Amino acid sequence: MSKPEFVYTIYIQTTPEKVWEALKNPEMTKEFWGRRRNASDWAEGASWRHENYDDPDKISKVTFAIDEFMDAVRLTVTHTDLTEEGLRGISAGWPAVLSSLKSLLESGSAMPMTTKLWKRAG
Amino acid sequence: MSKPEFIYTTYIKTTPDKLWHALTDREFTLSYWFGCSLHSDWKVGSPMQMHKGGKVVNECVILESDPPRRLVYSWHSVFDEDMIKERPSRVTFVLEQENNAVKLTVTHEGFAEGSKTLPSISGGWPLVLSSLKSILETGKPLVFTEACDAESA
Repeated sequence: MSKPEFVYTIYIQTTPEKVWEALKNPEMTKEFWGRRRNASDWAEGASWRHENYDDPDKISKVTFAIDEFMDAVRLTVTHTDLTEEGLRGISAGWPAVLSSLKSLLESGSAMPMTTKLWKRAG
Repeated sequence: MSKPEFIYTTYIKTTPDKLWHALTDREFTLSYWFGCSLHSDWKVGSPMQMHKGGKVVNECVILESDPPRRLVYSWHSVFDEDMIKERPSRVTFVLEQENNAVKLTVTHEGFAEGSKTLPSISGGWPLVLSSLKSILETGKPLVFTEACDAESA
């Protein structure tokens, strides 16, 4: 039986380059990602640790697919290698983070719930 | 094996009343739902029809209506010769106010194994709900250059 996974697709009126920039730039991620940043050089195969607050050694895998779709961008996040408990936590987190990313890129400001540090498990 | 259902949560900078209106007003739905308009009096037991291009594409029945918190309707896709043979599925909208935003959770369930409607709506809901969020937050729906045949959800 395969381990649980979570897939979420969102469409954003922007360009792929702007989505990419938002994911990499700490000044932007702190707005929509609960005041966290993603530390990586983003080269293929490079490590990308967005650590589990309570258990930094729990490793799962996140894939971002950024596709042009008509005049907009389809962003699909696939989160795999999760435990059941991890799945519950991230199933709540991703919609909030990605909704906030969409608001930031389309209207210029992120959503209030993600501009502050979250203390959350998973 | 996971249950055959589709669940999607999104957060929208709006109020529950505005979101409820966006989900149920015939003219407003036409402005973001990729050419679909929703026709109903939204009373429990009443029919609801989704129209697109002059045809009825989905036949629904209002099952629960508690504005602006909870809306449930059945869903029967009638535009496809296979989907029309399936039993109706069920869509639940839960609207929860959180600070200055609304958390919207859409659960579409009740599909048989091998349902053709399930993959259709699984592709359609993220499109429709993304467009809904865009129009409520920026005044403009998602702009696509061609009429989407990304199903009728």
